Amino acid sequence: MTDTTANVDVNVNQKLKEAYFTASQGQLIWTRFKKQKAAMVGAGILIVLVLAGFFAPFLTPYDPTIAGRNKDYVNGAPNVPSFCDSNGCSLTPFVYTYNRTRSIKTNFRWVTEIDKDARRYLVFLPEGDQYKFLGMNFKTHLFGVDSGKIHIFGTDSTGKDIYSRTLQAINTSLAVGTIGVFIAFVLALIIGGISGYYGGWIDSVLQMMTDAVRTIPTIPLFMALAAFIPDTWSSETRFLFISIILGFVGWPTLARRVRTHLLTERNQEYVLAAQLCGASAGHVIRRHLLPSFTSYIIVDLIISFPYMVLSETALSFIGLGLKDPVNSLGVMLQNVTSADVLLNYQWYFIPVIFFIILVLAFVFVGDGLRDAADPYADTKK
Amino acid sequence: MQFFRFAITRAFLAIFTLILVSLIVFSLMELVPGDCAERYLAFKSSQGGAITIADVEAERVRLGLDRPYMVRWGSWIINAFQGEFGDSCILRLNISELLGQKFWLSLAICLTSLLVAYLIAIPVGIISATSKSPWLNNSLRLVSYLGLALPNFLLALIIMLFSTVYFGDTLTGLFSKEFRDAAWSYDRVIDFLSRAWLPVFILSWSATAFAIQTVRALMSDEVGKLYVTAASARGVSGRRLLWRYPARHSLGPIINSLGFDLNRIFNELPIVALILTLTEAGSLLIEALARSNDQQLAGAIIFMLTASIVAINFITDIILALTDPRVRRSILG
Repeated sequence: MTDTTANVDVNVNQKLKEAYFTASQGQLIWTRFKKQKAAMVGAGILIVLVLAGFFAPFLTPYDPTIAGRNKDYVNGAPNVPSFCDSNGCSLTPFVYTYNRTRSIKTNFRWVTEIDKDARRYLVFLPEGDQYKFLGMNFKTHLFGVDSGKIHIFGTDSTGKDIYSRTLQAINTSLAVGTIGVFIAFVLALIIGGISGYYGGWIDSVLQMMTDAVRTIPTIPLFMALAAFIPDTWSSETRFLFISIILGFVGWPTLARRVRTHLLTERNQEYVLAAQLCGASAGHVIRRHLLPSFTSYIIVDLIISFPYMVLSETALSFIGLGLKDPVNSLGVMLQNVTSADVLLNYQWYFIPVIFFIILVLAFVFVGDGLRDAADPYADTKK
Repeated sequence: MQFFRFAITRAFLAIFTLILVSLIVFSLMELVPGDCAERYLAFKSSQGGAITIADVEAERVRLGLDRPYMVRWGSWIINAFQGEFGDSCILRLNISELLGQKFWLSLAICLTSLLVAYLIAIPVGIISATSKSPWLNNSLRLVSYLGLALPNFLLALIIMLFSTVYFGDTLTGLFSKEFRDAAWSYDRVIDFLSRAWLPVFILSWSATAFAIQTVRALMSDEVGKLYVTAASARGVSGRRLLWRYPARHSLGPIINSLGFDLNRIFNELPIVALILTLTEAGSLLIEALARSNDQQLAGAIIFMLTASIVAINFITDIILALTDPRVRRSILG
């Protein structure tokens, strides 16, 4: 009896060991990553935000552009749905009806009045503004109200729903970041790859060039590049152009990392074996060297992501990046820059909170991944 | 002797980098649609004069814009090394006169921010790397991440708006009204200092966050090494141990990265300048680019910024070589 349990134990142990030694780089990183609480929380928040951005048209009740504006509720405060008030409770949450009036009593200024007796009940999956998703047209949104409109984060100076804009902005900023990171990544792979694989004078020349590009301050350079954009460009072209700029300026750091990886790997025996078999340089890099550090590259990409988002916001903020019809986080941040907002319309700051959370989540995940990808992390201390 | 050879090699490398950078910047400025001749004449035509194609061509010849690209770059870079950048396209003033003092003010602000950042980051980073308390560690981490996630411009904006509302002073600008155009005097310096703390604080905000992370990473690498164990076995302990052994070793890479830290601060300068309505090189750059497309001025500013980074890199290399013989040997092979 005891013999068999011991046997099972050994078997289990053996299996665990086997699993450990045969695990791929990615599996090992994931196992280590799971142990870090802060990074896991960050990853959870990040996934929620990315999904929210992706499904933004469905999750938000209104069109984030001028087409979805509510001209009767300009600079309106957020409507918070509630269940109970002095008139009693209801099972479905509701918001109040607001009326805008202007008379001699209000000194002829538009004033919003809340009518507590006219409730607007929340409804789920109503038909609303049409939107395109994955190439198809839809009309159903997650929630809405039975009459009038609901603005849970309030509205801006043109009556656009801030909640709808925020989610859409996350989507745009992530898209800009993705394209930027992708371009930077391809450039880094090519330049860092050549430099690291061949070494010698090619490496020295490429390194010198990389260092020269790295010394130029990027934001002033961005500004110079963005100044090319003629005012007549459509928002889509502008968007693409900004992403490309971000990519073209972001490659040096990544290229350096790729080069260092390659320099250490290229002297390994398996590379020599492949070369002796007559494999071409491109083949060796693609089939043997790249897979050896794909997971590290992914980590690097995630780490460089928040900087892309930050650069986009900075650019849009000084008015050289994306502009108002497009909703990006930078555009949303730009909207908070007046004293009027701080004094009277504090709900403009809600997107700022989203922005900070997004960047923080990225940084935590990136940091956790970096620790997880370090093969010596466990042996240290 | 070895040191002088090192210094000369480094100086050549620095000049080479500058030339390469100047080519990049110059090409960029060339790519901007339209040239200086058109801008001059556009200004003239706005004053009511009639302009013909021949006028534009004549202006091009006068400005030397008809020469081949490489020749123009050559003359630009030769002049740039002498601190002469020609006239601004839009403002029609001599650029070095326009920039002069403003550039040095900006540089002073940026360098001070860098200094402040490391004055805070070195002790904090060492504490965070060596302390065993997870609570202290995590809270320090969160604070330094916030430095990253809360962008400078937002912080500047919040501080400014609060001070406007609660103190009635916007704290913007580098000088009070009465000192803006005055000559340097004792009072003006005091006035400058009473206002410059805000941009310095805001610029050093995220620089500190980055610096803490660097110091922390370097220190936690060094603390585990054998020579530290050996030193503590000899009976050196506490602060003395940290300062004399691992801290000295981590200082090298930190000095090495100062140039790139300065680069990061330069990145934030124009944005902070925009919000605080500072009147220095950063805001001049924004004006040159965002409002008027003044390529001559923008190119000069970017070149000067890069030149100061290259200079810092050169100086830090020299300092490192003076203190560390390994560095001297590394470049000479």
